[in-house]
Amino acid sequence: MGRFNQSKQKSIPAVNTSALPDIIFMLLFFFMVATTMKEVNLQVDIEKPTADQAVALEDKDNIDFLYIGFPTNAEHGTEPRIQLDDMLINDYHAIQEWKRSSIPQGRSILEVPTSFKVHKDVGMRTVSLAKEELREIDALKIIYSADKTE
Amino acid sequence: MAKRNIGEINAGSMADIAFLLLIFFLVTTTMEVDAGIARNLPLKQDRIIDIPPVTEPDVLEISVNSKDELFVEDQRIQISELEEVSRSFYTINANGIVVDPTMPEHDLISLAQCQQKINYFQHELSLHPHNKIMARKLQKWEQKKSICQLYSSQSFYEISTMAIVKIDNQANTSFGIYIQIQNILKKVVNDLRQEKCTELGWGNYHELNEHTKQGKERLKQLRILVPERIIESKIEQ
Repeated sequence: MGRFNQSKQKSIPAVNTSALPDIIFMLLFFFMVATTMKEVNLQVDIEKPTADQAVALEDKDNIDFLYIGFPTNAEHGTEPRIQLDDMLINDYHAIQEWKRSSIPQGRSILEVPTSFKVHKDVGMRTVSLAKEELREIDALKIIYSADKTE
Repeated sequence: MAKRNIGEINAGSMADIAFLLLIFFLVTTTMEVDAGIARNLPLKQDRIIDIPPVTEPDVLEISVNSKDELFVEDQRIQISELEEVSRSFYTINANGIVVDPTMPEHDLISLAQCQQKINYFQHELSLHPHNKIMARKLQKWEQKKSICQLYSSQSFYEISTMAIVKIDNQANTSFGIYIQIQNILKKVVNDLRQEKCTELGWGNYHELNEHTKQGKERLKQLRILVPERIIESKIEQ
């Protein structure tokens, strides 16, 4: 019986976890470098079109994003809707106010581009009306968001 | 000197902290890279000072109906054919000889002509120093002069300054097809500018840097050699 007693006393050596923080930190740094912050929580579904001539956006902090897509929540209907920041808008004129207030002090409205993130099945009527509003206030620089293909 | 004994720091919770941060970043960030096609909207109608009359051969009219079918000058075409059509819009009459009268003409710009125009606008500007249109025209001709000097013939063919691409959409035309058209137009212009770059020994068009003096100058010259002018008609409600 002595043999059994002996094995009971021998405990399994603890796994050395001192390298665990290092591994996690490495993962953390990878994600910090390789990803970008989400701009907003989307309330519309957007499947972007593809384009091989699309170029990566530089200086994303100085770009305003305007989203047009089909509402994910059925309460908002099935027609394409425009989302600015975290709000779905009903009135196109709200775009003017939104764009004006987004311009930082000392910069001209001409310099700050607006990026259109639009679902590829949305009709051009909505897009065109949104563009007209921007044209009204001379916010002429726009970027049509598209996924880059080779 | 007495050695003070510093107790070991307990790093056991380090992993927990790192995990917390990691999860925070996983949740709040996205992997997607943003890309897009940059365009400028036309100025508001009442801000345009002089609207020149546009003649028929100078316009490439692309219309898309609500079923996403494509028409160029009222002729039905496939999207795959659009690249060739818009390319020939820029190139078919490029040597000054009118091969296709329905496409824009090219004019020979010579150094002497540039100098004459520059002298004229400089004179005008000295009389009316605040005339913005004159100042802009003077700038244009100075750029054209610099282009002339790039070529050994001291001249170049410029596409009609009224040459313009017009896109007509219907209310239900999908954004997808619109982007395809914009993409093709961009591709044609990029390809032609690349050809000019190769011809002039400037290397890769996409590597021209807007933030250097030389790069900026070259980009301006390319914009005259291969202009990209697109307008859209308003959608009738």
